[in-house]
Amino acid sequence: MSLYNFKKITVVPTSKEFIDITLSKTQRKTPTVVHKNYHISRIRSFYNRKVKFTQQNYHDRLSTILTEFPKLEDVHPFYADLMNVLYDKDHYKLALGQINTAKHLIDNVGRDYTRLMKYGDSLYRCKMLKRAALGRMCTIMKRQKQTLEYLEEVRQHMSRLPSIDPNTRTLLISGFPNVGKSSFINKLTRAEVEVQPYAFTTKSLFVGHMDYRYLRWQVIDTPGILDHPLEDRNTIEMLSITALAHLRAAVVYVMDVSEQCGESMESQISLFNNIKPLFLNKPLFIMANKTDIVSKEELSEENRKIFENFENEGISVFWTSTVTGEGIMELRQAACDKLLLDRVEAKMRGKKVTGVLNRLRVATPIQRDEKVRPPCIPEAVLKKRAAMATTANASLSDIGSMTMETDERKKTERELELEMDDEYVLDLQKWWDLKNPDEKHDTLPEVWEGHNISDYIDPGIFKRLEDLEKEEGLREEAGYYEDERESDDEEMKEIRQMAAKIREKKALRLQESHLRRKVKKPKLPGIVANKKKTPGEMVDKLGELGIDLSEQRQAHFRSRSKTRQILGKRKRSMSMDVGESRSRVRSQSRSRNESGVRDVAMQQKARKLEKISQRKMIRFGKAGESDRHIPTERPKHLNTGKRGVGKTQRR
Amino acid sequence: MRVETCSFCSSPVYPGHGMNFVRNDCKVFRFCRGKCHKAFKKKRNPRKVKWTKAYRRSHGKELTNDASLEFEKKRNNPVKYDRETWQKTVHAIRRIEEIKTKRHNHFIMNRLKVGKKVETEADIREVKQNINLIKSPAAGLLQKRQEEELVEVLPEDDQEMENVE
Repeated sequence: MSLYNFKKITVVPTSKEFIDITLSKTQRKTPTVVHKNYHISRIRSFYNRKVKFTQQNYHDRLSTILTEFPKLEDVHPFYADLMNVLYDKDHYKLALGQINTAKHLIDNVGRDYTRLMKYGDSLYRCKMLKRAALGRMCTIMKRQKQTLEYLEEVRQHMSRLPSIDPNTRTLLISGFPNVGKSSFINKLTRAEVEVQPYAFTTKSLFVGHMDYRYLRWQVIDTPGILDHPLEDRNTIEMLSITALAHLRAAVVYVMDVSEQCGESMESQISLFNNIKPLFLNKPLFIMANKTDIVSKEELSEENRKIFENFENEGISVFWTSTVTGEGIMELRQAACDKLLLDRVEAKMRGKKVTGVLNRLRVATPIQRDEKVRPPCIPEAVLKKRAAMATTANASLSDIGSMTMETDERKKTERELELEMDDEYVLDLQKWWDLKNPDEKHDTLPEVWEGHNISDYIDPGIFKRLEDLEKEEGLREEAGYYEDERESDDEEMKEIRQMAAKIREKKALRLQESHLRRKVKKPKLPGIVANKKKTPGEMVDKLGELGIDLSEQRQAHFRSRSKTRQILGKRKRSMSMDVGESRSRVRSQSRSRNESGVRDVAMQQKARKLEKISQRKMIRFGKAGESDRHIPTERPKHLNTGKRGVGKTQRR
Repeated sequence: MRVETCSFCSSPVYPGHGMNFVRNDCKVFRFCRGKCHKAFKKKRNPRKVKWTKAYRRSHGKELTNDASLEFEKKRNNPVKYDRETWQKTVHAIRRIEEIKTKRHNHFIMNRLKVGKKVETEADIREVKQNINLIKSPAAGLLQKRQEEELVEVLPEDDQEMENVE
């Protein structure tokens, strides 16, 4: 659709700019370095590239201009005519044609010189050829200076044209200059058209939009038309004529009854008759404006007859004043309604209707019995209507007896607030409609122990509570809630105790085994290790298991080492006394931690050294002195990561 | 003012606590605290999260089908205020809660009884299998032997007595 593209046409540069842009682009986008000693084909392709690039650039830009400017045959006739009036169709077409020829010429130049480049046998020759080619292209563009300027002006003006949709609902306002057309549009829509006392204030078409019956309407304000033949009309008047001619809209012909515009009623009538052919097939309305200056009654006989003629012909006349605003809404309503009707009729006659009608279906409910079901109108509304009717009748005869209405209106909360000033408290509960009205101002409890009370409010709650209580009663009687816990008899209690003890014992054993397996300490030889287990321990352990060993038969449980020790000591003492050498029963064996140790201090030191030497092995969980196993050779946490500050020379 | 329930853990949300989240389909989610809100954002299913009421109800840990639970329900039909009804209702709520807690506790007790049986059986089994850890079979053997000796002695006495007689 060519409607919106008027604003999106790219800027048309001046010829100088055009040349500059293209040449600088060629310089930037193509390779720049070439030497004499290159191979000739390389030199040729280098210069060819430049020629082709320039040609391509010109071609592209000119094509965009040609495509973006609208073709007068393709747009709506309204726009075509408008552009003709404003820019002269011939001039426009010529300009575009010249651009087209320029494009072709540049293409030809480019083609010829790429062919000629084949015959360039030195760098100098090729360079001169390229220079000639570019020069010729630029001269062609220089000759287009006027065309480009004209097109730029056209583009600028076109983008400022009001966007009129020729197909939607439109109201067209026409008439003599200074009759009140712009004031009318200012009243109807949000457009702020200039209103001034001199003629031809409005010099072009203005569009305003308004809403009526949930639809968007265009209201077009035209410049004033003077009464002379078509050939003598200037550009501005031609705009209005174009609009009138091409747009299918409702026409409002504005007349100035006070003759303040400087034209008499007769001249206005004669203008109307002159442009009557343009109003064919369009709903027409006469707007008799400026009635605040000269009202309908004050009009002279002849003028009134004119309007009566209009009425007789079937054209409705509206007496309005844009200053006071009377009559405007009625005119708008009538004009819009008529236009809508016309449009609907036109659509009905068209081809698309059947498609729509097939999908439409008006359904009316079938009467199922004799009962009459009229629309429901509340009493208050009926009363009000009656009151309005009586006051309307009264006002015709006696204006001023409107006191009844004001009394019936309710006092608003705001008025109350203003009356009571500081004492006012907003109490919405006073509007509540309750069975017992003095309960209105109760404070309601909302929450109890985490439960919302309103969740329990239910008309049937008491009945359900009764049922529930009954059920509870039944359950209690049936012994549902009695505690059937069987208390354990003696046997069970004993069993439980024993089971607990067993579990405890198991857990202890597990713990011990874990400890034992966790750290593999260097094992001491069996004799020394077993020495740590005393017979007393064994007696205790067996006692736990229930075996009583408090009798003489213990004698067998004493360890051998003890007897030997005693023997050894006796032997030494005896030998010192007697001086005899006796045969040893067994060689004197002393435990390793006592051999070679002179006194307590040395013993302590020896023990200390022993512990120190064991420390490393125990800490690292080594199995012995020779255990050099490393579980992880390169632990990740020590060998990765960056330093926050400093060097990572060693890890 | 209303005490809502958290849409994750079903605990009460008092006014001034928690957070609300409104989804694009206009469903409102209320959370009692950040824990529930974060779990919701992580798309956790409350029916699978052990500590929520939804889990407990769906896994039969709590009373579900009961007449006493039907009393507290959000109803959408407003009832006109009537002082008498409200007063009676407030008293009724107390009674209803009593009954509800009673039934609930009974339910839980029943559920836990099964565990007791299992425990007793486990204890008996334990004792049968592992009695040797606390009591050796040789325990009391000495005493028994001594008693037997005593018993042997006594009938001998009787025999002597008989001989005498």
